[in-house]
Amino acid sequence: MSFAPKRITIKASRFDPAKDEKPRMQSYDIPFSDESMVVLDALNYIKGHVDGTLSYRWSCRMGICGSCGMMVDGIPKLTCNAFLRDYWPRPITIEPLNNFPVVRDLVIDMDDFMHKLKAVKPWIIRKQDPPLGGGAFLQTTPQIDEFRQFSQCINCMLCYAACPVYGLNDEFLGPAATALARRYNLDSRDEGLKQRLPVVAEAEGIWECSFVGECSVVCPKGVDPAKAIQQTKLDTTMRFVLPFGNRD
Amino acid sequence: MSEQAAPREFGWTMPRGWWTRRWHYFWYIVREFTSLPLALWLLWLLVEIRRAQDGPQGYHPHGSLGFVVFSVVVLLFALYHSYTFLTLAGAILHFNLADRPVSSRLIVLSQFALWAAASVVVGFVLIYFARS
Repeated sequence: MSFAPKRITIKASRFDPAKDEKPRMQSYDIPFSDESMVVLDALNYIKGHVDGTLSYRWSCRMGICGSCGMMVDGIPKLTCNAFLRDYWPRPITIEPLNNFPVVRDLVIDMDDFMHKLKAVKPWIIRKQDPPLGGGAFLQTTPQIDEFRQFSQCINCMLCYAACPVYGLNDEFLGPAATALARRYNLDSRDEGLKQRLPVVAEAEGIWECSFVGECSVVCPKGVDPAKAIQQTKLDTTMRFVLPFGNRD
Repeated sequence: MSEQAAPREFGWTMPRGWWTRRWHYFWYIVREFTSLPLALWLLWLLVEIRRAQDGPQGYHPHGSLGFVVFSVVVLLFALYHSYTFLTLAGAILHFNLADRPVSSRLIVLSQFALWAAASVVVGFVLIYFARS
């Protein structure tokens, strides 16, 4: 006795800038042969066997590179971490990440995020580099614990897609960039706080955030950008108010 | 040689009813909206305080059924807004005690305890002075 293989319907957003005025949905009925299949596997199946013109970004397939973020049934997710078994037998709708311009099909234009990321200088800044051969810069476990969770960010931009504040005002610095700024500001090796503050502490920076909190809900790496933003608000206020606050 | 046009993109526009699409967004809007009737009620309180300056003879507090209903609704809004605000304190406040970070849960519980204590003190003061 043989069973017919399970099948699942993938509704993918399609947009060809040369032909289409706006995105349209296209359905693909594909085999759901393996319980471990994820949405990215389904897209790869479509690309390889059904429609080679479908465009989307992906790379590592294991939740590290942050390339394959898309709206899965209206929620920002890494498609390599969204299992078909959680949706079957219902059809799954796949769209490009909200709040970003669409370049083609499921590919978004990430330039705005890249500019914001660069603006917060997400690297260790030293006033004066120690001499080469001066030994490693040691950190204690509590010092690492200060910033550890913020360092897990993989720049997948799911938090931007979930943030209605960014959707309404793309001048907003946004969750991931602020979380990464805080990651370096909390690093005991870093001395770049005063270089980041003009970007982070301005009106379109942390003060634009009204604490919706959805950025932290959708983060696939357990980072809490909403916490980073609120804590930065408190810290910058204390720096302004306290007489000894404006220290390096 | 003609310059090649930049590829056309489909720009993002926020849907008008975005906040109805997910419960999290809906409750966020409710949280933000509660500030408005709260502000109106507090403005009215300022007016009442101003009128009370003339002494008890000329002071007639607004006690219509409509105002009582409005006040009860505003009280519910105030409780909801306070609950969300104090709950978020766990994410905002961060400090160490004896070189160990204080947990968010403990911070939130301490906020609610302070809120309850402050309510008891204010209630006691109001009742005490009203009777004396």
